[in-house]
Amino acid sequence: MRLACDTGGTFTDLVVEDGADILLFKSSTVPSDPVQGVLNALALAAAHYRQDLAAFLARAEMFVHGTTRAINAILTGQTARTAFLTSAGHPDVLVIREGGRIEPFNFTVGHPEPYVPRRLTFEVGGRIDASGTERAPLDEQGVIDIAAQMKASGIEAVGVCLLWSIVNGAHERRVGELLEQHLPGVPYTLSHQLNPSLREYRRASAAVIDASLKPLMFAYLDNLQRRLQEAGFAGRTLMATSGGGIMDARDVARAPIHSINSGPAMAPVAGRHYSARDHAGAPAIVADTGGTTFDVTLVRDNRIPWTREAWIGQRMRGHMTGFPAVDVRSIGAGGGSIAWVDEGGLLHVGPMSAGSTPGPAAYGQGGMRPTVTDCCIILGYIDPEFFLGGAMALHRDLALEALRREVADPLGLTPEEAAAAVLALSTEKMVGAIDEITVNQGFDPSSAILIGGGGAAGLNAVSVGRRLGCAQVLIPEVGAALSAAGALLSDLSADYSRIHYTTSAEFDHSGVSHVLAELAGRCRDFARGPGAGALSTETSFFVEARYAHQIWEIEVAMPDADIVGPAGLARLVDRFHATHRDIFEIEDSHSAIEFITWRARINCRLHRPPQSRLLSREDGADTRTRQVYFEATGWTDAEVVLFEAMSETAQVAGPAIVESSFTTVVIDPGAVASLSPGGGLRIDVRPG
Amino acid sequence: MDVAQDARVPEESAERGRAGVQMAIISNRLESIARKMQNTLFRTARSGVLNTAHDFSCVILTADCQLLATAESLPIHTLIGPDLMCRAVLKYHSEFRRGDCFLHNNPYEGDTHAADHCLIIPVVDESATLRFFVLAKAHQADCGNSLPTTYMGHARDVYEEGALIFSATKIQTDYKDNEDIIRMCRTRIRVPEQWWGDYLATLGAVRIGERELIALGNEMGWDTLRDYSSAWFDYSEHKMAQAIQRMPSGRIRVSSQHDPFPGVPDGIPVNVDVEIDAAQGKIVLDLTDNVDCQPCGLNLSEGCARSAAMIGVYNSLIDNSVPINSGSFRRIEVRLRENCAVGIPRHPFSTSVATTNLADRVSNPVQRAIAEIAPGFGQAEIGPIMPPAMGVISGRDPRSGQSFVNQIFLGISGGAGTPLTDGYLTYIHAGNAGLCRHDSIEVDELHHPIFVRERRLLPDTEGPGEHRGALSIYVEFGPGYDSPLEVIYTADGTVNAALGTRGGGAGGLAVAQKRAFDGAVTQLPACHAQSLLPGEFMLSTSCGGGGYGSPLDRSVASVVHDVAEGWVSRERARDVYGVEIVGRGGDLVADVEATRRRRIALGASD
Repeated sequence: MRLACDTGGTFTDLVVEDGADILLFKSSTVPSDPVQGVLNALALAAAHYRQDLAAFLARAEMFVHGTTRAINAILTGQTARTAFLTSAGHPDVLVIREGGRIEPFNFTVGHPEPYVPRRLTFEVGGRIDASGTERAPLDEQGVIDIAAQMKASGIEAVGVCLLWSIVNGAHERRVGELLEQHLPGVPYTLSHQLNPSLREYRRASAAVIDASLKPLMFAYLDNLQRRLQEAGFAGRTLMATSGGGIMDARDVARAPIHSINSGPAMAPVAGRHYSARDHAGAPAIVADTGGTTFDVTLVRDNRIPWTREAWIGQRMRGHMTGFPAVDVRSIGAGGGSIAWVDEGGLLHVGPMSAGSTPGPAAYGQGGMRPTVTDCCIILGYIDPEFFLGGAMALHRDLALEALRREVADPLGLTPEEAAAAVLALSTEKMVGAIDEITVNQGFDPSSAILIGGGGAAGLNAVSVGRRLGCAQVLIPEVGAALSAAGALLSDLSADYSRIHYTTSAEFDHSGVSHVLAELAGRCRDFARGPGAGALSTETSFFVEARYAHQIWEIEVAMPDADIVGPAGLARLVDRFHATHRDIFEIEDSHSAIEFITWRARINCRLHRPPQSRLLSREDGADTRTRQVYFEATGWTDAEVVLFEAMSETAQVAGPAIVESSFTTVVIDPGAVASLSPGGGLRIDVRPG
Repeated sequence: MDVAQDARVPEESAERGRAGVQMAIISNRLESIARKMQNTLFRTARSGVLNTAHDFSCVILTADCQLLATAESLPIHTLIGPDLMCRAVLKYHSEFRRGDCFLHNNPYEGDTHAADHCLIIPVVDESATLRFFVLAKAHQADCGNSLPTTYMGHARDVYEEGALIFSATKIQTDYKDNEDIIRMCRTRIRVPEQWWGDYLATLGAVRIGERELIALGNEMGWDTLRDYSSAWFDYSEHKMAQAIQRMPSGRIRVSSQHDPFPGVPDGIPVNVDVEIDAAQGKIVLDLTDNVDCQPCGLNLSEGCARSAAMIGVYNSLIDNSVPINSGSFRRIEVRLRENCAVGIPRHPFSTSVATTNLADRVSNPVQRAIAEIAPGFGQAEIGPIMPPAMGVISGRDPRSGQSFVNQIFLGISGGAGTPLTDGYLTYIHAGNAGLCRHDSIEVDELHHPIFVRERRLLPDTEGPGEHRGALSIYVEFGPGYDSPLEVIYTADGTVNAALGTRGGGAGGLAVAQKRAFDGAVTQLPACHAQSLLPGEFMLSTSCGGGGYGSPLDRSVASVVHDVAEGWVSRERARDVYGVEIVGRGGDLVADVEATRRRRIALGASD
């Protein structure tokens, strides 16, 4: 038995894979003690099995955890008191950043404060240049003096980023040694070891963020593992990572930046699996809709895209982690997004969200502004009596009152017209976000399937799919807990990279071979270490490259694990041209190519791909009908079908609603829903 | 400018509601198209000025040359100018087909300055009817000037400037390049491979915009899009009128002064008459009482003169709820005159530096004037620009043996205090609104044979205020290897600082210096080409931004924070902000009673 648990802002989702069965459980997150929320979810599962918790946990060999703990600590300023060590002459790396600004005429938002205040920034004498040559020796006495100052000011963690440490890491390593001697017990992070990438701001940012999380995440993971053990768990504890893989919890405690975006990064992993299972690996747009955000990723060729430009908070206004992460686009659009009309009569949805407090107006917790969820109640999509399987009663009258006052009356529309307009605009914003990762990258979304996850996904998944021209929408049976499901599906993985600059014109065959051999060796070591006992391992190689004088690399999957002779180089060059054309419409076949960063990724598969299906926990209820509203039909009778009770041959023609304990899927007129081969809900958006 | 007209509002309110929904949907689509264009240009360009500094813009215009969607383009590039350039295309060409593309950089016909190459595609429907224009404007690393810089501050005229100038020149037919034009550029532009790569990147951007607009037209119907445009302009005008109506009416003349430069030994004074007519919801900016075109590269193009004045207005609204397009522009009237340094340039006067120096001297007094008339609106002055750390560098890279020319963006700050916020640190200058990026030290040292010894903020250089201006950035850089480095820059603000408003103070001045091999530091001229030998360094200080409101009204906590961070000295906190600070290290606090006494002694109102 394997367990995956994703602690979100509102709910703690637990997925239990028990042989051929999959079960979902949701428990409220306990903000003051998130581990308690995990134990509560586990207790729900044990209760389902009518076992005590210890007996239940004793059966589990693996517990995979995703958490918002690290990101929340950053957003609420509860990380360690962290110092930043930088090259002399460059104290403002975290202040100046890479410049840039959004919203040119918005002066209500000032320049962001640095992640580490300037008063906790220390300049270290010594300088390496771009070729790796030492221009000034490291000022060791200076570092010792800084350690004394840091001790005096109660520093709890240290991030170190010196210029060009990626080419020559000697100074950074020596700083690390000196810190261990003169500031013992205080965790530190060296930028070139954590994140060997060009551009000092990104590397520095990753180093200080990582260091600042070390005391906290070490304590959290220690606490989690100890309490799981006390509760009877004797298996392996793993953590989901921002990179879409899993790592042993003790390794994440050493580099906690890996856990920052662990939840959202798991949804595409799940999406890839369900696309392979039900759609023969077709390209998939994986969209995870929660209460406040809509997170979307494009999975193509069975590969999950990644980026070095992941931000904590808003682009340009937050902090760039500079750390390779799954490329998840997030926009402020979810069930809790607020609908409003500006003074010029223009309708808006979001970016403000009602969150879980006060929540949508219909929650009756004091929310006065109408949300997307309220609109879905008004339109009859969500049954106020059956929200979360009836666990929470909703008030349609409050939703109606809020929408009327804030949207319908100002626009001169009926409430149902207004609610449908809110959903249409919300759909459009989601489509805009998807366009940015598809059309923008030269990919036609109509050739993909749309995979919806998250509690609010089903409300407009069909209309989003229609708008994109997708033929089919898939809501996996575990869709309401897609991230946790992804954590169960992901491989133990590690990513290694090295910068080695060379060009197609004067290709350094022996240098590159040496680098690739070293990366392959590190992958082998990983396979023998944490990956020991894996069912299978797979190593893939990538290079980040660009045309001469370009500055932004694109990632190219290498056709071979080594580049042998002119023919091998020619294959790689062709692959680069094709990839560039794919993304940007243009290629420059006469231009030389610059190869910068060489990467190897190893995936160790710890388990067989599950063949399980969601275990029905409901008794077959009778089919009902309910009045729902669509823009095309007006009010109409819609069939309401319980997902868990659907038979393998059932065809549910829209207008209809498919409900489960955790989610509601709206089947628009003209669309037809059925069970997918693997047991998910498949909707033919434009049946033939 | 266009005369204001009443917004047409459909009578049936439900119809209006539905129209509002469709309007929101289409405007999201168009903004997304403009963003796609920008992304392509940024990621594929070859020169640092584009692929690092982001000095380019992508916009969509209607068939009658009205600016419709800009995403987040540089204001000085896009408010006015794209419209004039599309009109130039219409003036010289009457029939358009798919596959056409035009190259335009004529500053006497709408372009900002000759360094900004624009590619313009007329978007036509199936029956070859013109429906939209897409336009991408990209600042070139080199444009064939007589010196290796795109900013020829000292040029007496367009001939001495020396750029190749294209006027609505058809560079593609049937999606194929006109090789004659490509050869001209390759022959006259330095580092032609870099230019060619940037041309391809810009072409990719406009072609993606064209493809997306055609898809949108096919999906929504071209007439629907035309009706949308008209309704969107009306909506935007309405929003602008409302924004102006929140201010009091008033009228004021404010002046500014560009520093002395070659050709203008006394500098260039700029007068702006600003009138806010709240009742009519309209603002009039009169720039006609100014000097004639001058024998230097500072003269403004018409696009820059109008845009610069309008930037001062949009900066003054503070929140960003008014859409930027030809609809909201109807509520601003900019009065210019022909043959005026801040008006409509007369050929052959040079406009080589039109986007930055003198343009900022137009934007800044406008926003300061609005602050004086309307408390809670306007801004202080943003720092004048082009210190050496924003210069154009050139030479031969001894590592590769190849020559190079590129603009660097190492350290320029300048953000002005506003009614709500302190000056944005990396604002750079009024015209680009902080959208341009700063260079990474490592990227610059990798791509150019330079060594950046130091880059840091300078304390006590902020324009003091209730909301203070940004601090100056100090940069020290020079040749990295055994080969000389040429640096050409045009620094304004070494004499005339960014002024504060409503009681706020001026920001720090710009400084250009050279450190010789023996360590001796000498002052350099403001507009200058300096060759540096190995071991010599350029010392660049950018201007600070002006402050908004009296520094005696600044929150004590903010002053304590500034002192703790090292941005403001204790002495300045006491003398200028009236805040007495006690404690040391990280444990600074204000002495409340001493501060109260100090502030009263310095003349605080309470």
